[in-house]
Amino acid sequence: MKSSSTQGVGARLARKEDDRYLRGQGEFVGDIHRPGMLEVAFARSPVAHARIVSIEKPAGAEDRVFTMEDLRGVQPIRAISGLPGFKPSDLWPLAKDKVRHVGEPVAMCVAATRAEAEDLAAQVFVDYEELPAVVDMVQARTAPSALVHEHWGDNVFLETLYDDDLSAAKASAPIQIRRHIRTARQSMAPMEGRGVLCEWNTRLGQLEMYSSAQMPHINRAGLSECLGLDQGAIRVIAPDVGGGFGYKGILLSEEICLGWLARNLHKPVRWLEDRREQLVASTNCREHDYDITVYAERDGKLIGIDCDATVDSGAYSLYPFSACLEAAQVGSILPGPYKMDHYRCHTWSACTNKPPILPYRGVARTGVCFALELMLDAVAREANIEPFEVRLRNLVQPHEMPFDNITKKHFDSGDYPESVRQAISAINLPAWREKQKAGLPDGRRIGIGLSVYCEQGAHGTSVYAGWGIPMVPGHEQCFARLSPDGVFEVRIGAQSHGQSLETTLAQVANEILGVDPQNVRVIHGDTGLTPYSTGTWGSRCMVMSGGAVATASKEIAVRVKKIAGKIMEVAEQDLVLEHGAVRVAGTDRSMTLAEVAHIWYRKPQLLPADVDPAGLEVTAGYKTLRDSGTFSYACHALVIALDTALGHSEILDYVIVEDGGTLVNPMVVDGQIYGGTAQGIGTALYEEMPYDSEGQPLASTLADYMLPGPTEVPEPRIVHMSTPSPYTEFGQKGIGEGGAIAPPAAIINAINDALAPLGAELTTSPASPRRVLAAIEAARLRQAA
Amino acid sequence: MAVNKKPVSFQVNGRTIQATLEPRLHLADFLRDHEHLTGTHIGCEHGVCGACTLEIDGVPARACLTYTVSCEGAEVRTIEGLEHDPVMVQLRAAFTSEHALQCGYCTPGMLVTARDIVLRLPDADEARIRKELSGNLCRCTGYVGIVHAIQKVQQQRKVTT
Repeated sequence: MKSSSTQGVGARLARKEDDRYLRGQGEFVGDIHRPGMLEVAFARSPVAHARIVSIEKPAGAEDRVFTMEDLRGVQPIRAISGLPGFKPSDLWPLAKDKVRHVGEPVAMCVAATRAEAEDLAAQVFVDYEELPAVVDMVQARTAPSALVHEHWGDNVFLETLYDDDLSAAKASAPIQIRRHIRTARQSMAPMEGRGVLCEWNTRLGQLEMYSSAQMPHINRAGLSECLGLDQGAIRVIAPDVGGGFGYKGILLSEEICLGWLARNLHKPVRWLEDRREQLVASTNCREHDYDITVYAERDGKLIGIDCDATVDSGAYSLYPFSACLEAAQVGSILPGPYKMDHYRCHTWSACTNKPPILPYRGVARTGVCFALELMLDAVAREANIEPFEVRLRNLVQPHEMPFDNITKKHFDSGDYPESVRQAISAINLPAWREKQKAGLPDGRRIGIGLSVYCEQGAHGTSVYAGWGIPMVPGHEQCFARLSPDGVFEVRIGAQSHGQSLETTLAQVANEILGVDPQNVRVIHGDTGLTPYSTGTWGSRCMVMSGGAVATASKEIAVRVKKIAGKIMEVAEQDLVLEHGAVRVAGTDRSMTLAEVAHIWYRKPQLLPADVDPAGLEVTAGYKTLRDSGTFSYACHALVIALDTALGHSEILDYVIVEDGGTLVNPMVVDGQIYGGTAQGIGTALYEEMPYDSEGQPLASTLADYMLPGPTEVPEPRIVHMSTPSPYTEFGQKGIGEGGAIAPPAAIINAINDALAPLGAELTTSPASPRRVLAAIEAARLRQAA
Repeated sequence: MAVNKKPVSFQVNGRTIQATLEPRLHLADFLRDHEHLTGTHIGCEHGVCGACTLEIDGVPARACLTYTVSCEGAEVRTIEGLEHDPVMVQLRAAFTSEHALQCGYCTPGMLVTARDIVLRLPDADEARIRKELSGNLCRCTGYVGIVHAIQKVQQQRKVTT
């Protein structure tokens, strides 16, 4: 492998995709118009839990308003899990008999403009017989106020148990700490909402759907099941997509509705989610509850963990990830890179009258990291040692790599303790500890916090087969073609919506073929043009799509050499590929790729009769050497100033020491880390989707749901380590999610560090001023009592 | 629903628009659906996210909070109308070199605000730039590249002027 070439793997290459966005010429679903196109608005449930007694369409508009009864032949979304005991839920694209969360679509309304469609939706009269709402996830399973799906008999999608005997630890561990830890429900909030445009193509007998989607091939599979069309009768195109983060990794009820409508109306139809729909009706994420006990030696060495974890999965199981991925994942990933002899974890995927959840950037890792890292700081306080010492005493050591942890997660490579040491050094812990004694001149307290996480990326078949969900990743394919003009075209089934694949995959092609990245055309996000893929999720594209592009490029290199060898009358093994040309090694004889391609396609008469007819188009597949995933990781360390009168915290310095293996484009990697960290800061301090006791959402605008802005997010200092993965093409690891995992734990550890002298401790995110002040007040009352 | 339409006349990117419109139609919807100027993006339609930021009479404004019929006599400039603007040319290059965009959805609004900062506050420091940018949300970049790009263009303009 060449390293840090000017345009290949390791280059800080500027992005090829930028230009269209910078001119306002990106093409998002909302930018696409079709002649005669109609707009759709949905009438949605205003209540969290009710039986539908009747639905009345507005008089005179019966042919423009559709209910589930009209959608004949359409099947419900059924996202099952193969894990034993899983209870499936039927999600009808328009509610039938019952509504189970505020915002659930009840009727579809069509008009020439969105405003007129909304006028119609406002006139749909639904008679609801209200039922008690199930709102709190723990009460949902221990003391249910109602049953969300009556025939289940309880409100639990799935229970999992990672069992162990902790009685010895309980009897003798010198440090035993138990905490109740919670993370708020969140909205993923990409800047562009979802959007769907459908048109029925009579000539092809094909539904053409533009959707703001992360995994178009999976959407096609789900649509095929629900609409009863064969997969070839559906083409899903994800054009420019304005951010995903997991929010667009889903088969939508709205996609099914519009697919049915376009086919039956024979007119193009479009629905664009507005922000209010996104906040109050669409999917949420992240709501975890932990009752966790950590057992440790006096010096902070871990003995074991005992945890009861509940995840609020909302009302339905969504396609393809299911309602149980998140909670079941908690059970398998809580120990992370830490060593311990005992581990027990009982998890519940609770069903409530709230919108269903989806896996958000980092999935369960953000919650798990929050729970465990808060506990490790509590252990440090109990043991009276620096929090980083607890990490150094318990993290997997570099000589133990590759490492199978207690839940049999296979860590491919890395030096975790070194990331902690470098972070402590970069943040300058001793200097801050000194300043902390006096506090800041304005009276604010200083707190220093850190957290460590690992991020499993590029999950393979063995990791996902066990979940038994509708989608299991396997090998990844790339279709590659050297065009007659020498432009290299690569097609992948994933979708790039900010990940920069149009640039980084061109760098991969450059690395193998020497072709100028400007002469590489990356085509993605279209089931009609690309090979099957599970899509863009789980930090997988740079490993899997990157591996597939490399494999296809190698095959093209072989083909090019065969043809050029015939033309130049030299042996293939004497040819080298560089700078967009094939050259006879040690000479200045060469042909450009364009010249080779031109002869192949346009002047085959110049080729000898015995040339291999395989041509310059290939579909090649790729699989990592081991499919247990790549593990990137980082240590985040930061300093906050905490105003104990107002409860407000300000980040004074933020350091990230990160190891993503080989970096294909370090500029893009930094961008992913900055952006992920900003989202993690939102999770830590601002973002919360609260519900009242009747299941009504209390944040319905971006003025209530606080996204971090330019004044809330600092510029973190990033330090790179680089331990290549032994299992991937260039040693790269998935890094897309990591930034969002560590901040809540590190920031609230810093707040707790500042609060420690007051005897106060925060165990719930986000650390809103109200929560900080409540923790201080609770400590004051405790001490007074 | 019967709605009384109202006539309005204004300029968009130097072109005169004369239309009779529903009063409830906001400027972003008008530009996108009637004029097919889709560079003005819609993110929240309640004036918080800044994705629809454009210029009305030379000042950045929210298209989603502006009723089209209230634009009588106004000069509206969208990202499309700033294609050849010399500051925008510099900003586009700086946004690319500083990796100031990922998904690209907030980008047109960011650029309009960034241009205003560069022209109005050539000496703004990082803290001031961030404050001025705080009406524009980005969910991808963590703002690092955007702030750097603005600083870069500030520097370039000092050298050349």
